[in-house]
Amino acid sequence: MISDEDLLLYYYRELEADERARISAALAEQPELAQRLHKLVARLDTVAATPEVPVPASVQQRWQSALDGAVRGDSRAAPSRRTFTNPRWLAMAAGLAVVALAVTFQVMQPRTSGLAQIEPPGSEAPAAVEGAAYENGLKFHLASTERQIAALGEATPEERARLIETIIAQNRLYALAAERAGEPQLARVLRAFTPILDDLAHGRGETTAANVAQLSFELRVMQARLGAGAATTNTL
Amino acid sequence: MQAVLIPVLTLLKSWVRPDAFQTVLSERGGRWYNACLRITRDADLAADAVQEALLKAWDRRHEFRGDAALDSWIHRIALNAAIDLTRRRKTRAEDELDEDGHEAAPASAPESDYALQALTEDLSAAMQRLSSMERQVFLLKHIEGWRLDEIAETTHTTVAGVKHALFRAVKKLRVDLHVWRGES
Repeated sequence: MISDEDLLLYYYRELEADERARISAALAEQPELAQRLHKLVARLDTVAATPEVPVPASVQQRWQSALDGAVRGDSRAAPSRRTFTNPRWLAMAAGLAVVALAVTFQVMQPRTSGLAQIEPPGSEAPAAVEGAAYENGLKFHLASTERQIAALGEATPEERARLIETIIAQNRLYALAAERAGEPQLARVLRAFTPILDDLAHGRGETTAANVAQLSFELRVMQARLGAGAATTNTL
Repeated sequence: MQAVLIPVLTLLKSWVRPDAFQTVLSERGGRWYNACLRITRDADLAADAVQEALLKAWDRRHEFRGDAALDSWIHRIALNAAIDLTRRRKTRAEDELDEDGHEAAPASAPESDYALQALTEDLSAAMQRLSSMERQVFLLKHIEGWRLDEIAETTHTTVAGVKHALFRAVKKLRVDLHVWRGES
């Protein structure tokens, strides 16, 4: 005998596997039981569903003001973090961080034929990347990188060195551009990636963990600064 | 090594810009508000819950994991805020019970009246007969799809308590809807 409570928990997927299997089999064998569950769920759906009511304009304004105040307050609370206010530099710096990570992943992992298919995202034109589109692209790339971790094989030393050389060269260009744009701190952060990448290129594995920790720290610093910069360049 | 690298990835994925909040607020604010309104049945509390969620999410934006949607993250924070605000209001109201044991009516506002009127018109009588706890548990489970243990944590009770509240809610609905045990 299947109780009403068990049927409901079955529908909500809150039963243990064996109990779920038992009810699933019973539902397959007893059409009336399946009909009973179907009717119950349909009615519960009906009674639970309510048409959406519009948000009063005054409430929307209040939310906007509150969020705006929080963003401004955040910027005021940490004025020293207002380093990078140009969205172009936001995109460039974050792009570089992803490049460094992508390379790091590749040199750490076993080699597969997919290695050559990964293109450094820093090769994109940074100025063309904006706001949400950039953020979405970045997240997509990060997610893809995560998926690739398990699939990547071990790169040969030659492959490793060649790829990292390319990235280091790009870093130098970005660092130069940052200096010319009057962003010396950004340039410093970009250059900080070079020795880390260099170590990886030359297979100095014993320093890898420390390098990654350093990379993580640099990213945190950059993120904090970029976050503050973004906060000051967006009006909510 | 992956254990070291994954946090770095997570850190980058958690990068939430202010304009992302702006976008999601304009697109999903209404959904959060209505979800909170179903929980609180009070327009002011629902609006407060969304605002609280926005500020809390902004403060904790570095904790945001990029593998979930920003919308879903704030939605969940808003529901938690709605439940918490309802609980706090209930506690205050219980302190103000009159001699007959009637709960003090919440302060009324034009927006409250408007939303409550719409809500009252649309919610079934059966739904309105549920207690606050029963309604919250039912909505969180049936509409929001939370797990029983998540509901238990949010409502400060046990999984068994949540199950009982859920069954009570459905039984009450059964009486009105005549569908429990296959009745039609």
